[in-house]
Amino acid sequence: MATRQDASTGELVDDGKIESSDDKGGMYIKVYAPSKVYFEGQAESISAASQTGPFDILPKHHNFITLLVACDIIIRTKSNEEKIRIQGGLMHVKADSVIVFLDI
Amino acid sequence: MKRPNEIAKEESSMATLVELTSVFEGIASMRIAQTKNQVLESTKFFDELWKIYTQLRVDSLFSFGRETSAKKMILDKELFIIITAEGGFSGDIDQKLVQEMLKQYDASKHDIIVIGHHGAMQLSQRGITFRKYYKLPSKDKNINVSPIIREVEEYRHCTVFYQQYISLMNQEVKEISLSMAVKTAGMSSDKPDEVISEQTYIFEPTSFAVATHLERSMMKIALSQLILQSKLAQYASRFRAMSASHQRADETKTDLHLAYNRARRGVKDERLKEIINGMKKSKAGAAV
Repeated sequence: MATRQDASTGELVDDGKIESSDDKGGMYIKVYAPSKVYFEGQAESISAASQTGPFDILPKHHNFITLLVACDIIIRTKSNEEKIRIQGGLMHVKADSVIVFLDI
Repeated sequence: MKRPNEIAKEESSMATLVELTSVFEGIASMRIAQTKNQVLESTKFFDELWKIYTQLRVDSLFSFGRETSAKKMILDKELFIIITAEGGFSGDIDQKLVQEMLKQYDASKHDIIVIGHHGAMQLSQRGITFRKYYKLPSKDKNINVSPIIREVEEYRHCTVFYQQYISLMNQEVKEISLSMAVKTAGMSSDKPDEVISEQTYIFEPTSFAVATHLERSMMKIALSQLILQSKLAQYASRFRAMSASHQRADETKTDLHLAYNRARRGVKDERLKEIINGMKKSKAGAAV
């Protein structure tokens, strides 16, 4: 099972121990560039990578702004998992809303 | 006088020209609509970023995305960026733009970067040297302006000369300071409702790095928007030129059609005359 670092706490989190987002109500996620919206909707978690390494964002995450490095953004919804390859960007997390700005 | 079949050929080629100008007119009109949409989408994106930026660094001085730690020499000169068309189908608006820029140009105080081949040609013809020339991006999406932004960061100040779309029949030459372009674009967005600070947010790597990155990004978007605005004005100018050509070609086609009918009638009249004369002659012969 893969282990990830939680950006809010800095702790290593085992995938198997992540609480279901049903309990927490999910998050609104939008991943877009000036010319295209890659994803918009409710999801349970989002994973990406910054200069300090890979991280996950789960519901109830602390307010957070980070510069993303080239990586695969993985968005997990109730029904499936979506992968978006990016070259960099900026992520803004606030009140269960995650906005990722790409091509900037 | 031309023969009817010659005129018919001319009319046929004029009909092709009418169709072609109509198609070009349609393409220009479609490109205008697409570019307008692109400008709108880009503006929305910019507004979101601007909101974060102003929440992050309220009332701070815009520093062109330069990192304070970087000991880069800033040239004590102003950079002029002119955005012109790639080809020569944009009427006289490029010429106006170059003239407008040259009114302020002083070789000792200014450097020039040209976007668009037509502008580079105009400057070369006037014997004015420019620092760099970039092709006008052919696509409207994901315009890569990073190399230009790197140039901008080397200068104390930067002014962009561009073409603004007012309406289909009206395009104007405008100039704007790039930092002002960012601020002007930001003024139209909603005022931020909170301040983002290190007390309320986690930043990675640092709040300053995020602000610097945002400045650079907003400059890129602002410059891309100016390029899109210029392209919009160029499409409109092309549309106007094609409309005028279409109208002229249509009028010529109508004239040619009239000339063709006249020529055919002329030929018929000529034949009729010949027949009547022949009949008269044969009548006269019979009477003798």
